[in-house]
Amino acid sequence: MKSPATNRLIGPAASVFTVVAGLVISLGIIAVNGNPPVEAARALFDGAFGSTKQAATTAARSIPLVLVALSWIVAFSARRINVGMEGQLVVGGIFATCVALYVPGLPAPLHLPLAILVGFLAGGAYAGIAAALWAWRGVNEIVSTLLMNFIALMMLSWAVRGPLKAEGVRTNRSERIPDSAQWPNLVDESPLNFDLFLMLGLVVVVAWMLRHTTFGMRLRLTGANVEAARGAGVRTVWIGMLSLIVSGGISGIAGAGLVLGGETEVMAEGFAASYNLEGIVVALLALNSPYASIPAAVLLASLGLGGGLMEARLGVPAELTLVTLGIVLLLVTGSNAIVRKARSVRVDADRGDADPSDAPGAAAVT
Amino acid sequence: MADTEDNNLGVGSGVPAGALEPPTSNDAPLLRLKDITKTFPGVIANRDVSIEVHAGEILGLLGENGAGKSTLMNVVTGILRPDAGTIELNGEPVQIRNAQQARRLGIGMVHQHFMLVPTMTVAENVALGLRPRRPPISDISRIAGELREVSARYGLHVDPDAVVESLSVGARQRAEILRLLHHRAKVLIFDEPTSVLTPQEWLDLSEVFRDLAAEGRGIIFITHKLDELLGVANRCTVMRDGEVVGTIPAAGADRQTLATMMVGREVVLRVERPRPASGETALEVRGLGLHSEGRAVLDDISFDVRRGEVLGIVGVDGNGQSELVQVLTGLVAADTGKIVFHGSEERGELTPRAFIGLGGAVIPEDRHGRGVAVDLNLRDNLMMADFATPAYSTRGVLKTAAISGRCERLIAHYDIRAPGWHVRVDQLSGGNQQKTVLAREMDRQPSVLVAAQPTRGLDVGAVEFVYHRINEHKRNGGATLLISTELDEAFTLADRIAVMFKGRLLRILDAGEATVEQVGLLMAGEAATP
Repeated sequence: MKSPATNRLIGPAASVFTVVAGLVISLGIIAVNGNPPVEAARALFDGAFGSTKQAATTAARSIPLVLVALSWIVAFSARRINVGMEGQLVVGGIFATCVALYVPGLPAPLHLPLAILVGFLAGGAYAGIAAALWAWRGVNEIVSTLLMNFIALMMLSWAVRGPLKAEGVRTNRSERIPDSAQWPNLVDESPLNFDLFLMLGLVVVVAWMLRHTTFGMRLRLTGANVEAARGAGVRTVWIGMLSLIVSGGISGIAGAGLVLGGETEVMAEGFAASYNLEGIVVALLALNSPYASIPAAVLLASLGLGGGLMEARLGVPAELTLVTLGIVLLLVTGSNAIVRKARSVRVDADRGDADPSDAPGAAAVT
Repeated sequence: MADTEDNNLGVGSGVPAGALEPPTSNDAPLLRLKDITKTFPGVIANRDVSIEVHAGEILGLLGENGAGKSTLMNVVTGILRPDAGTIELNGEPVQIRNAQQARRLGIGMVHQHFMLVPTMTVAENVALGLRPRRPPISDISRIAGELREVSARYGLHVDPDAVVESLSVGARQRAEILRLLHHRAKVLIFDEPTSVLTPQEWLDLSEVFRDLAAEGRGIIFITHKLDELLGVANRCTVMRDGEVVGTIPAAGADRQTLATMMVGREVVLRVERPRPASGETALEVRGLGLHSEGRAVLDDISFDVRRGEVLGIVGVDGNGQSELVQVLTGLVAADTGKIVFHGSEERGELTPRAFIGLGGAVIPEDRHGRGVAVDLNLRDNLMMADFATPAYSTRGVLKTAAISGRCERLIAHYDIRAPGWHVRVDQLSGGNQQKTVLAREMDRQPSVLVAAQPTRGLDVGAVEFVYHRINEHKRNGGATLLISTELDEAFTLADRIAVMFKGRLLRILDAGEATVEQVGLLMAGEAATP
């Protein structure tokens, strides 16, 4: 029998191994194509962590990734699938911008938190539409949240061309976010702001919420076995709705952070970038653990930035980092199955039975 | 499931379908397993297991859950490959690489959960495993004819053209047997075949067993019900902890010996039933009705359960018992009728939360479906219903210390064999999972316990434990509604026994006066009129 501590270490150890393996394989591909693998590795590293500024940029890129991953994790802990984080992020960003621009005269210690709070509420309300449709009309939340992404992007298009468009400029963008609503810079000459601490705080809060509150307990019960949860008196439909709403709220915070901490200091189309899918990838890599989302997001961000430098220095296409990511993803999800199997050994003190049909995973979660 | 490579079973040769090839002359056993060892990471499921079945013999394979019976049978049927050991058929060593090959060698198994496609006919199900003689032209009509012949010869009474989902559970089981016979199985393995049968259906099946053995086939009959085994088997092999404890002839063996071999200690098979207290009514049910898909699944159900009394509801599975439990525990709203919990204020709609609030507790029949959340750890499962009470949380924050303390107490008090509360529940045996459910439900001192199939799939030791807990609840003045398909269980625990048939309660009999035969007939729907 393994001790629980060993059991808990299997997962992280497997993750580290998969990342190393993914990098080695991609460097092998680079070498096969006639490029020097050592140089490539150095370029990858320099691009992500070569200087304080580079490291700060990597950290800054990781922030929205972690937040979107948290958003996914909260919904998924109740087995609701939110793929509308992009839409919630956009709506959160739009409303945070409104507060930043049109609530004047507030000092920074009030203005910035208010804008973020409104971003949270707006993202949550936007996800709430999908949640209500799911709860009362049986609309599959995967479909509704996905489609609502497009509505949100249209709303953004309209907002930066219409009501929020800055006076006297030709580009479609908002006015400059006033200083009182901007995140103060953490590292000079870099995009890293103090919202790093908000992100870290949220990771702790979400992890604590899932483990140590009755709400978290209800989320996890509902997610693990909805029938058993209902039998134990949990209002599972309401909990499912709340999971989506809170999830949307966290995406809203991510959107608010992107606008209020952006280098351009304005809101323009495309600020949501590809955070939706990348955030899901982060959650997947992190095996839905809030804390593990941080290294997973850093990996994703550093591959992106390092890949850029690799292309600039050696002419190796930056897309090769997608190969690395793909390998890591396959290995992580695959090794998770193996890790679970290794852990699934019966622990009865008196007898053992490893009936394969009883192995976890045989009972698929719906 | 369907294999196409298998082209030569029951098809093509001149021998009539289902008939056995002439027995080989040597005296070697039909099937012999020698020193089979199979390990899974960290667990030895089988250690040096040797069993043998002779032609014409019925071998009972007895053991608690987790003793390694299923692993062994998976080895025999080619689903798992052993780490060590040999398998011999008629004295010749064979390698069984996969399920198709096991079947070709004449080894067949009727699983506990039938392997039939419900929307297809019996003949189509049989044809699934066979390649047509002239593909792609189907052989269904010929196969149906052969099946009809086999069915008549063994008195199985299965219509090959019947759609499986229209058949009763007993008929489905016979259809599985028919399939094995059509595949010319020489060794037939039955995994707990009686759990779905009425007593009369079991009598018929045991006749089929004897006929098949008389023809020179070998039968392995897996069970944990001692009486059934002693009635039909020639020899019994008992397994415990992955090893064979011993093999004894059935003649001369008795229940107590076998039970002791199985569990490894003395087991009290007859749990003494405490006298019912003549308490006031705790649960009153009047005129309960529920329709589903245009059919009455509950039809005018009325009964009372008093404090200190166990009311048993018996019946073959699928006669409305599951629905009754769902209605009583608030998961499903009844169409008509009323449910009153006495001694508690009557409130509005009965929800699961209200059920708990009114002093109700439930042991659900479907342990993995409703009883436990296997992906969560033991603590979460033990706390499932109580974590929001002031004792274990304040303002939405869980009191970790109080919760850990309670879990440790419950683990000790209910003898849950686990290294600690951090263990995921899917790592526990069925018996320990059921103890987890019992601990969670009984610890809040319920006034009404609804126990649905509380010992299904449990081994003798765990059954004994559950019985003691239910009797303890009764002695403490609790009311119990026991829903069971096991007559023995009902007669062991219940003070009054009601029979449920097609959504109705037929009669409520006094357990002291009722006989097993009387209740058995009622279960089959006979003597529905008093």
